[in-house]
Amino acid sequence: MATLADSFLADLEDLSDDENRDEEGAEATEEAPDADKDLAEAAILNYDDLDSVAKLQKSQRFHDVMKKVEEAMTNATGISSKGLVAEDDPKYQLIVECNALSVDIDNEITIIHNFIRDKYRAKFPELESLVLHPIDYSRLVKQIGNEMDLTVIDLEGLLPSATIMVVSVTASTTSGKLLSEENLQKTIDACDRALALDEAKRHVLEFVESRMGYIAPNLSAVVGSTVAAKLMGVAGGLAALSRMPACNVQILGAKKKNLAGFSTATALPHTGFLFHTEIVQSTPPPLRMRACRLVAGKCTLAVRVDFTRGDISAKIGRELREDVRKKIEKWQEPPPPKQPKPLPVPDSDPKKKRGGRRLRKMKERYALTDMRKLANRMKFGVPEESSLGDGLGEGYGMLGQAGSGKLRVSIGQSKLAAKVAKKFKEKQYGSSGATSGLSSSLAFTPVQGIELSNPQAQAGLLGSGTQSTYFSETGSFSRISRTY
Amino acid sequence: MSYLLTHLHHAFHVDEAIKSEEERVTIIRFGCEGDTTCMEMDEVLVKVAEKIKKFAVIYLVDVKEVHEFNVMYELYDPCTIMFFFRNKHIMIDLGTGNNNKINWAVRDKEEFIAIVETVFRGAKKGRGLVVSPKDYSTRYRY
Repeated sequence: MATLADSFLADLEDLSDDENRDEEGAEATEEAPDADKDLAEAAILNYDDLDSVAKLQKSQRFHDVMKKVEEAMTNATGISSKGLVAEDDPKYQLIVECNALSVDIDNEITIIHNFIRDKYRAKFPELESLVLHPIDYSRLVKQIGNEMDLTVIDLEGLLPSATIMVVSVTASTTSGKLLSEENLQKTIDACDRALALDEAKRHVLEFVESRMGYIAPNLSAVVGSTVAAKLMGVAGGLAALSRMPACNVQILGAKKKNLAGFSTATALPHTGFLFHTEIVQSTPPPLRMRACRLVAGKCTLAVRVDFTRGDISAKIGRELREDVRKKIEKWQEPPPPKQPKPLPVPDSDPKKKRGGRRLRKMKERYALTDMRKLANRMKFGVPEESSLGDGLGEGYGMLGQAGSGKLRVSIGQSKLAAKVAKKFKEKQYGSSGATSGLSSSLAFTPVQGIELSNPQAQAGLLGSGTQSTYFSETGSFSRISRTY
Repeated sequence: MSYLLTHLHHAFHVDEAIKSEEERVTIIRFGCEGDTTCMEMDEVLVKVAEKIKKFAVIYLVDVKEVHEFNVMYELYDPCTIMFFFRNKHIMIDLGTGNNNKINWAVRDKEEFIAIVETVFRGAKKGRGLVVSPKDYSTRYRY
């Protein structure tokens, strides 16, 4: 874990080195280059010098920005009368810098917290799992110092009382040993540094928030000045922010921590700064994504209003916020109660009967066939045959009896199939001798099955008008005349 | 719960109620208010009234209050249901032998709705006698 941390820190060192070189010439950093090299080479668990890893506080950039912020804070009254601030105003640039700085301060605090934790582990190992917040941890460490007995120390005001109790109990059974004087001093120094950084960050954020009301009043009215400042910082200006569609505004500030191999289940999709605003966080979890989208939309509108300086008094911003609140409330309303409906009058709506080819084909499957019709009827005076003989079983009726008019009862073709068969015959005989090489002389007819047909004979039939077409299956009306 | 349904206190009201309905079946319950059978039937009638209100209307008559129909319709049971459509008495073949009325408490709502619907369908077609969907000939399980 130490080697990984060291490699990350090495990356950070590179970054801050670049910035320092760009901004000014005078090097204010009190680095110990030898210790640094040793650290990189040896990669030991306990790095002794805090300054080798926590550089921000000593950097020039930090000092510059803090100075400007202090100046601006003291000049607060002068600005307020001027109304909104123009974008190329140095004040505006300062705000963008402040945003970047606050992010860096956060990183720095984390680094220092790690340092303190590593050192203090020898004394009180359980504390790091009980108190997670870095600033609380630093305060606690400063208060406890090198004491073994926690009952003499007053921890009121630092932590909630439940946590104090747990800490006291754990301290009485801790496996830690006293720290050396040197180590203790280093730890206390680191704590002081962390607390100072926290103060600085608070200052910076206060400043940005106070100025937010002049730069983007409507946006601040909708989401709050902190988030508004963050959004502007990430977008890189009010102009850029106003050009973004609402879906992009929703994503601003999303952390892409998808290191390969780590789980993506906990990563919330499409959630940026807006997801962590008060409005969205106070809605029930199932509605949060909807609320986020809604807020993003209203936010974009507010930003555009601010960009065009349409409304200085932030009235539109307040209206939008009210809109959002009302909509979220409406979503949480229970559905209207179900009214018991009375039954409809019987037979008032006649059943919708359908027709068409599909239905007819379906009905064909259950239609009464000729075979069944014959079986249902009986001849007078002639006994019918039955399936089991002697009058037992199913009766066959006129089926299979002599003189019934049919030699063989076939399945029978449906009416629709007849139409298709007719078309088929027309095609065959309409070729008038000029048949292609692929045509066969076998014709499939309904009654006889397959038969070998002579296409010439049929072609001749159609050609001569003297032949009678009265009984022809393919013939049509030849002469229609009016008969009075 | 019978206070939720309309009571008729006079023979004249009963006549008017039967004559006035043009589109719906008139269901008259003749019975003694305090009887348990009657109360059970009333429970069912109350629950069913809203559902069938589009094709049937229910009236309650206390037999001890209105005596005029007792001999005419032979109302000697604690609870009797009779059906009328357009001023005509509709008979139902229940299998019990008595087609004029239902003289027990029908406990099931769905059953009762089925009977009323059958009466309505048949009466609308002009039939004077309809066949009940359920057969009650073995009701006493003998």
